[in-house]
Amino acid sequence: MAYEIECKDVTYTYPLSKKPAIKNLNLKLEKGKLYGVIGENGAGKTTLCSILRGFAPSFYKGTISGEVLIQGKPLSSYDEQISRKIGYVFQNLFTQISGIKNTVFEEVAYGLENFGVPVEEIERKVVDIMDLTDIMDLAEKSPFELSGGQMQRVALASVIVLDPEILIIDEPTSQLDPQSAESVFKIIKKLKERGKTIILIEHKVDLLAEYSDEIIVLHDSQVIKMGETRHVLSDLSLREHGIQLPQVTLLAEKLRESGMRIDELPITKKQALDLIQEKRS
Amino acid sequence: MEKTFTEKIQINKRNKIAGLYPATKLQIVILFSISTLIINSIKLTDAKLALLLIPWFALVPFMFAITGEFKKSMKSMKPIFVVAIFIIAVQTFIVSGGQTLWHWHFLSIREKGLQTAISLGFLVLNIAGMFTWMLQSTSTKEISRCFEESGMNFKVAYIFTSSLEMIKVFSKRSQTILDAQRSRGVETEGNLKVRAKAFFPTIVPLILGGIIGSEDRVLTLEARGFSIKGEHTHLFDLKKSGYERRMLVVSIIITLLIIAGRISLWRMK
Repeated sequence: MAYEIECKDVTYTYPLSKKPAIKNLNLKLEKGKLYGVIGENGAGKTTLCSILRGFAPSFYKGTISGEVLIQGKPLSSYDEQISRKIGYVFQNLFTQISGIKNTVFEEVAYGLENFGVPVEEIERKVVDIMDLTDIMDLAEKSPFELSGGQMQRVALASVIVLDPEILIIDEPTSQLDPQSAESVFKIIKKLKERGKTIILIEHKVDLLAEYSDEIIVLHDSQVIKMGETRHVLSDLSLREHGIQLPQVTLLAEKLRESGMRIDELPITKKQALDLIQEKRS
Repeated sequence: MEKTFTEKIQINKRNKIAGLYPATKLQIVILFSISTLIINSIKLTDAKLALLLIPWFALVPFMFAITGEFKKSMKSMKPIFVVAIFIIAVQTFIVSGGQTLWHWHFLSIREKGLQTAISLGFLVLNIAGMFTWMLQSTSTKEISRCFEESGMNFKVAYIFTSSLEMIKVFSKRSQTILDAQRSRGVETEGNLKVRAKAFFPTIVPLILGGIIGSEDRVLTLEARGFSIKGEHTHLFDLKKSGYERRMLVVSIIITLLIIAGRISLWRMK
């Protein structure tokens, strides 16, 4: 079976660094799933994504060993068309704007212009994506005049419009208020429904618990745990590695400590509610 | 029927002069600058002053007016006026040489001083004024598109456009940094010494932030296929107003007349 992304014993070291930023990485990611990536700061989350996209080592240089396969083919065998295969949304809101477009519509269309897509098709695709990301009312606004949440949605739209099969999203909500963060996650959910494979770096574990299929935990440049979301996020030993667990999981753990019998710790509000209802009945 | 977004981003100028093709505007500015330099070489009166530069400057506000951008352009001429007045004042009263034309206490105007004052001051006003006309009546989007249509590499066109746009972003960001420094107790207002002290805490984060951001921006552009080979699509279609040839012919005729006038003046001597 060809996985959407496969990493075989990948180790990567940045230039001028002696210590690898990623060590012995082995991953098999399936099509259409949402993978949440968690870990402390400096654990190697962004480096992992840069490796999957090919920015490391092509842009950052450095040394890499092992193999990264995208849909069964080595990443190095893809040319510039890789941008349409793997979309990448960066963490910093303000550097994700091209800096040369006057309106949000033009900003979103920019990638398609680069790929030489016909004008009528660009119009159709951009309108569709602006609708999906709920930025239609911003279409004629300047990208420089947007709020953080709006800018993040525009950045997402600018990448999604290229219709990549794989989407890497690096901490999209780190600079957003809870409401904007929720709206970004709703967009991500819609993308998953469209069959996209999504790799999402995120510190907000409560949101990850709601939306992701699997979780990859990084610690000290290595994957220390990977698996189904509930299985991973209910593992209390992760706290030893500085990983936060969902609020409801921690609450359930306290209840368990106080004597309540809880077989499986909940990680989402719905699971917690089901547990309470089960206990009441 | 409602316009599509692609139709909405097009620039349709009613004024035919404002809507001139950017390359034509540049050609007009170059011809005007050549003419200005020639006029500058014509010296009138016994003091040998380039007085013709003064009426020649009338062409600049005239161009502003026929472009329909008079107020806006005159407003953006303010710093140029300040520079020109400064040049005229300094040159008039400081440069020595030649006969003394006027004297009052410690102030005196010498022939050489007045010559360079008028010459330099009005050269700046005329040439910078015409560039102002071009830049005020042309958006960066039009200039960038024109560059690409004239065969310039799209990367160079990008650098040009983004640099102009970044000026606005950086000035906004510097204000934010200034506010942040002020809230930390750094004094940013007061005399020159106080302002100079505040300069470094403001400029260092601005420059460092710019450098760090540029790496992210490169990757952002790469993620959107910036360096992809092959034909790019352009949603923005740069149109010609139809007056390009006429305006260029008029400009060439005026320049040729000035050249002819200059030559005949040499012959008369």
